[in-house]
This record gives sequence, structure tokens and C-alpha cells, in this order.
Amino acid sequence: MDFNLTEEHKLIRANVREFCEKFVDPIAEQTDAEPKFPMETVKKLAEQDLLGIPYPTEYGGAGSDYLSYIIVIEELSRACATTGFTLEVHSSLASFPLFKFGTEEQKKKYLVPLCKGEMLGAFALTEPGAGTDAGAASTVAVKDGDHYVLNGSKIFISNAPVAGVIIAFALTDKSKGTKGLSAFIVPQGTPGLIIGKHLNKMGIRGSLTSEVLFKDCRVPAENLLGQENQGFKIAMMTLDGGRIGIAAQALGIAQAALDESIHYSKERVQFGKPIAALQAIQWMIANMATEIEASRFLTYKAAWNYDQGLPYSKEAAMAKLFASETAARQTNRAVQVHGGIGFIKGHKVERLYRDAKITEIYEGTSEVMRMVISGSVLR
Amino acid sequence: MAGIWVFAESREHTRELLGAGRELADRMGTTLGVFAQGASASKEYIACGADEVFVLPVLGEDEPLEACVPVLADAVSAGDPDVIFIGATARGKTIAARLASRLKTGLCSCCSGFVYDEGDKLLRMERMVYGGAGIQTVVCETRPQMATIAPRTFAPAPEQEGRSGKVSELPVVPESGVKVLDRLPRQRGAVDVTRAKAIVCVGRGVEKAEDITLARDLADVLGAEVACSRPIAEELQWLPEDVYLGISGKRVKPELYVGVGVSGQIQHVTGIRDSRVIFAINRDENAPIFEAADFGIVGDLYQVVPKLIDEFKAALKA
Amino acid sequence: MLKTIACFKWVIDDADIRIDAGTRKLVLDRAGYKISAYDRNAIEEAVLLQEKHGGTVCAVTVAPSSAKACLKDALSRGPDNACYINDPSFADLAPAQTVSILAAGIKAGIEFDLIICGEGSGDLYTQQVGPALAETLGIPCITYVNKLTYSESDRRITAERKLEDGIEVVSAALPALVTILPDINTPRIPTLKQVLGAAKKPALNVTLDSLGPAGDPCLKTVGIQAAVMDRKKIRFAADAEGIRAAVGALLKEVAIA
Repeated sequence: MDFNLTEEHKLIRANVREFCEKFVDPIAEQTDAEPKFPMETVKKLAEQDLLGIPYPTEYGGAGSDYLSYIIVIEELSRACATTGFTLEVHSSLASFPLFKFGTEEQKKKYLVPLCKGEMLGAFALTEPGAGTDAGAASTVAVKDGDHYVLNGSKIFISNAPVAGVIIAFALTDKSKGTKGLSAFIVPQGTPGLIIGKHLNKMGIRGSLTSEVLFKDCRVPAENLLGQENQGFKIAMMTLDGGRIGIAAQALGIAQAALDESIHYSKERVQFGKPIAALQAIQWMIANMATEIEASRFLTYKAAWNYDQGLPYSKEAAMAKLFASETAARQTNRAVQVHGGIGFIKGHKVERLYRDAKITEIYEGTSEVMRMVISGSVLR
Repeated sequence: MAGIWVFAESREHTRELLGAGRELADRMGTTLGVFAQGASASKEYIACGADEVFVLPVLGEDEPLEACVPVLADAVSAGDPDVIFIGATARGKTIAARLASRLKTGLCSCCSGFVYDEGDKLLRMERMVYGGAGIQTVVCETRPQMATIAPRTFAPAPEQEGRSGKVSELPVVPESGVKVLDRLPRQRGAVDVTRAKAIVCVGRGVEKAEDITLARDLADVLGAEVACSRPIAEELQWLPEDVYLGISGKRVKPELYVGVGVSGQIQHVTGIRDSRVIFAINRDENAPIFEAADFGIVGDLYQVVPKLIDEFKAALKA
Repeated sequence: MLKTIACFKWVIDDADIRIDAGTRKLVLDRAGYKISAYDRNAIEEAVLLQEKHGGTVCAVTVAPSSAKACLKDALSRGPDNACYINDPSFADLAPAQTVSILAAGIKAGIEFDLIICGEGSGDLYTQQVGPALAETLGIPCITYVNKLTYSESDRRITAERKLEDGIEVVSAALPALVTILPDINTPRIPTLKQVLGAAKKPALNVTLDSLGPAGDPCLKTVGIQAAVMDRKKIRFAADAEGIRAAVGALLKEVAIA
């Protein structure tokens, strides 16, 4: 057993930290407040080979492992949750299904530019009437010669307005529910693909999230990803990996909340001494540090399973459940440690508090995580 | 032979080393020697405490000062001094390092103070390490004991009437492998921040070059000079490089230092730590400058400084 | 073909240094290590010269045997290979020892035209190793350089030295050694592929056995204490009342002309 990160992992962390100090920290507040999508940062991430971290070099990736990718998301999210999440959607949700289920042709055409950072990716599964219950989808795909014609609407689709390609899910057999779902590669600019209303979010405000509408959207049959009616499996496998990414995002947010709290409690003087000398604060900090360490181990363990080729669905669910709830608790505590100043716009813990919440919701709510975990351990 | 020998680029700096060297020579019961660039300084140096002056030959136009290292080394080998102090300027530090290497002896770089131990007749020399976070004490166990000393570490030796000393000339220096092609004198502003009684220092918290006027206005009220942190001079070039403060820039000892938007990295704080009173204004309450400050205001400098100017004006008028 | 050596030191990250309030001792046991910031400029400058003129870059360090992690860090920044001169006893070397070991290691098997060093190290900052190494190797030395060019036709370097009284433009024939200032360049952050590729680059392991004894330290460290600064650390509010109080407090302490 070895809890040490490799020299490469340590270097990757140090380099991403430096990257964040230089390029992410200075604009994190603006990214949230305006809000503004961090396109310049995305371009710089591409220059650092960070848009295709766990994918092989022959597909334009860096050829690294999943743990490296997780460390990068953790560190980016520590500076700016929007930036960490943008990378997660791109790499986990858009690139992964192409890598895992795409044909050689499809990989060359879409995975390579995604990994090289020539374009961003998005993932369109959720619908107004089908969130956790993906089988209740109403978007349909009807075969018409050498095309599929998609009709329906998707909601909460992150990166959609800036994506070069969207992995979209639609029913090819309405009678079969989840077993009738298929995945399609829909490039931006496809006639009938309409990027709908931009959604004004509570947190990760710099991230672009919108509706996606399909109006007689004709997608070439060669853009079917995997087999017809294989969509649910593709979506679930994709989300399994994505959950480790969201766990890492939550971990970064929680770590930032702890960093801020340690700093502030040493500086803030009340009753003639720094508040860090008060037991009430010490206990909060101790709990924060401990829960974050536990989140980190769960998250890294899930990534390690992935890298070892071991099953990771349960581990990913545990990591996401624990890390996201930890992030929500720690950001709450961080605001409490800061008192009034932590409630003021422009203070980092105020942003962290809002950013943390979504990690308990997207890519599977905490309730779904508990379903996955119990389903696995009660089997 | 024995003695304390000193060498620095400028006359002022040389006199400071003569001051420190004279005191030490008297305690050790030995003589004080000095290297001079050109014979004209000999009289002054003798009046300032030197017993012996070694006049370096005039160097060719294209020879750097470091070319004199072999001649210095030969003189030291012949004279066998106990201690050599060299002025810690860029050239001085280079000469000292090369000289120590030739002489196979130890060198205390940028010595900030020393204590002479009567017992083992060695100096306990102090210097800053870890960007100013630590003070290292070293002893040089080989002969001669060497140190470089920054300008203004010691008070210059006063001239005294009726002193006498020996003047000797050193031989011609051999040709150096490094040739000087050009010398571009520094565009010196009128200010010398190291002599200012009060300093208003500008840091990264200032958003635009034009906003430095805000600091100037404050400086005018306080009778202060304007200085800055390293990035303001080197990266942004909003102020000349001879006014940046820090371990690698100017080290200052004013009565009052006012940091305007200075975060206070240790490298900067090291350059200002001898200020008598430090006052800091910074938006970030976690900025390390507040740890190094006597007085601090956490706030937006654009709001605080104008009010501060008014308050100072009002208070000084009363 | 320009063969450049970039020297670097693996130093304690000074952001991790804590001070024990009771003993005034520096607490270093949980501190991380990194390539000294000035040496990152040295490596970057060597790589920039290589990008312009071709040739090779070798990153050389003298370090304790526990510092092996420094190799991948250095190699990820662009050098073709590294030379790791190490021994368990190399933890607290005096400058004279570092110089003699470095000189012996270079003489033993690294061909070079140019050696680039940082102006000093981020930990002890003695600024001695560069010039003393040049002296030991018997090659021309140019210190405090903030602009460096190489002329292929006559195999000379031209450098601008930033000195107290201005800029001195100098030139020397190779082989030579320069020490550089941090404003000479901005080191790039290694890309992920560079980090992953570092392990595949050759690193020469040189131990004390093959070089002979480290030599006399000349300088002995008696102790290192935390620098203390006793400051009042009084804070005032940013409102009108606070500012007035701050001015009052200042005027009590300092006579303003």
C-alpha cells in the first residue's frame, strides 16, 4: 500500500497551482461576478496539454492517467469552480463517450480536436421532464435514409453555447424507455440544432449553461455513437467517470474554503487574540480538515480504481456523495468562520458557498448516489 | 604579516568599510589596509583610518573591474591579512567570490553584522537567509576571513587630522577574458530613496501607472519620497528601478514607511524591516505586510489614501 | 552546436517555513522543496538559446541523495539531459564545497561551451557559486546579466550586466560562465507532456565515490535563527474615524517635517 503521489503527480499539482496563481486566481472573481466564461483560460489550458489529460497521445491527448486529471480539476476548482467544471464537462462528459464508444473515424474527427483543445465539448442528456429519470426522455430520433432526425429539448446543458460538438441522447425506440435511448454526435452548426436560453445560475456562474433544442435536426447516421439503443449504457458509464471529476471539483472548493478559513482565523482578532485561538473555531477547522482529507482519499481511490482497470462505479458514487456534501458543509463553516465579511459579495468564501451546492446535484444527485451505493452493497 | 583589508567600488562605501575595519583592527591589535582605485584617494583613506593603501593600476577602457582579481589575490597571498571586507555591490560580490575561490577561503556574503571572539580570534558573522526569514551565523575557519558588506551597513569613518600611512602601488593587471563594449550610466532620478526620511511605497494594489500620483500626493504631504515594490519597477516599469525596495533592490531605514497596496512578500519586507515605523494600507486583510506593520488600514487604497491626505493636512496645519 | 549547462539547486520552499515562537527556530520539517526560482530562469535561458541556436542543454545539480525528485522537475522545463551529483552528505554544503563538487563533476564528463547559473540561490543566496565555479574552471565569468546573446559566427557571447551605476555591455569568447538576473526571461510552466516526458530523458547519476572528497567547507554555519520583527500590528478601520485615529497614532510616533 502506498499513499504517496508519484513525482509526476506532485509536479502536475505544483504546475497547475502556478498556472492558477498566474491565470485563474486574478480573474476568478470577475468570472463569477460578471459572469464571464473563461475562454482565455481554456485556451491556456490547451497550451498546457490539459484538455485531454487521460486520453492517448494518438488521439491528441496527453496520455496521462485519471488521477492526474483529477488533481488538475481539484486544483483548478480550488481557484475557480467554473474553470474546473468546464474542464470536467469537456473531458469526462464529451470526450469519454467518444473515446470509449466511438469508431476510429469518429475519434479522429471529434476526439482529436477535443483533446487538442481546438474545440470544447458538451453532453445533452437532461430534459425538463427527465432529470434523474433519464428513461422519461421525450427527445426522439427517427431514422430517415442515411440520417437521423432529432426533435425535442434539453435543459441545463453546460458548455453548450461554446461547444464544437454535443453528445446528445434521444429515443430511437419510444416503447422501450431507457433501453430505447441512443447517443448522437451533434456538431455545432448542424441545421436544426438551436442553443436556447442561457440560464442564470446561483453558483459556477461563469460556466455557460443553456437549453438545447432540436427542431428537425438532421444528423448523419454515421454520427450515431455506439449501437442504436445503447445510449443509456453510454450515459451511465460516462456519468460514472464524471462523478470522480465532480468529486474532485467539490474537493477543490472545500480545500479553498479551508485555506481561506485558516488564513482568516489567524488574522482576525477578537477578544484580544486571533480567533484561531478560540476553541469554537479550532473545532470547526479540525472538522473541516478531517472531512476534506477523507474526501480526498475517496476521490483519489476512485481514480486509482479507474487507472487500475478495476470497477469504479460504487467508488465514484461514494466519492461524489461524500465530497459534494463535504464541500457544502465546509463552505457553510467557512462563511461562519468569516462572520459578516463572508456574507459580502467579492469575498471568496461567499462565492465558494454558492459554488458548492451544485456538486450535490449535477451528474447524479446525492440521492442517486445513495441509490447506486446501496444497490451495490446490498446486492 | 596580518591586518584587516578592505575594498569597495565607491569612496563612500570604502569609508564605511574603513569605519568597521578600524574598530576591528584596534580590537585585534592589527593594522588596516585598503585598496584604492587611483592614488588620489590615498590621503582621504589614510585620514579615515587606513595604515596602508594599495593603489590599483588604472584599468584599460575595455577592462571590467573584475579584471583586478589576480592582482588582488597576489597582494593578499603576499600580505596574508586576517580579514578582508569587500563592498557588496554587484562587482564587489563577484570579485569577492572569485578571490575567495582563488585563496581557498570562506566568504560570508552580505554580512549584516559581526562579533569578534577574543578566544578563537574569529568573527561570528551574521547574514540573512531564506529571503530574510532567517539569520545565519557563520564562522570562516580558513585564512583570510572574508565578508562582503552592503552599502550603508556601517557608518562611514570620519577623517582625522595627523594620521599617516604607507602607500604602495600594485602591479599591472593581466588582460581579462571579458571585454567591456559599452557602459550606459543609469538614468538616475533626483531621488535617492536610501536617504529619505519618509517613504511612500507603491505596490501591485495600484491599478494603473497614472494612479501613482495618489501616492505622490501623499508623499508631498509627508515630505516623503516615492518608492515601489519590485514588480512595479521591473515588470510594469511604472517607476525607475533604483527606487524598488527589497532584498534584491534598495534596503531602506526611513523614520516612516507607508505601504500603499503593497502585499509585503518577505523579499520586500526584508528591504524595509529597519524602518522605524511601518504603516500599511491594503485591500487584502490577509496581506503579509500587516504582520510586518505597526499600523494598518484594511481598505481600498483609492478610498483611503485621499482621506488620509486630508487628515494629514488637517492635523499638520493644526 | 552550442552545449549549455544550466546549474540548479533544489531548495526549501520558503513559503513553507514556519517559526517556532518560543525558540526562534525555523521549523522546516514539513516544508516542500522546489527548484530555486533564480535557477528556473537559468534553465529557461539555456532552453531559449537552444531554441534559437540548436545544440544541447544539460541541467546540473549538486544535491543530497534524497533530492532525486528534482530531476523530473528540471527535465520537464526543457533540458535534454540532467546530471545529478549526489551524496547523502550533500544536505548543507558550504559554497566552496558546492563549487569544488560541481567543478569536479563537470570536468569528469560534461562537455560545455556555456554555463548558466542564477544570480544566487533562493535559500542561502550567497551569490558565490557562479563566479567561484568560473574561477575554479578557469573560464571567463560575467555576472548579473539581464540580456544575453550568442553569436554563432565568432562563438562569443555578448551580455548586458545590470550594475548599481548602470548597464555594462560585455563580451567573452566561449567557454564562459554567466550568472543571470530574474528579469532576463519569464520561465514557462511545463506542459503536461513535458512533465510526462521528463522520465524518459537521460539523467547521469554521479556520486561522491567517483569524484573524491568534497573538500574543506571553509565556512562553518554556527546557527540559523528566525529573523524577528517586533511590530505593533495595530489596525484601524477604513472609515473616517479610523483614518483620523491612524493619523493621530502615526503623528505621535513620527515627527513629520
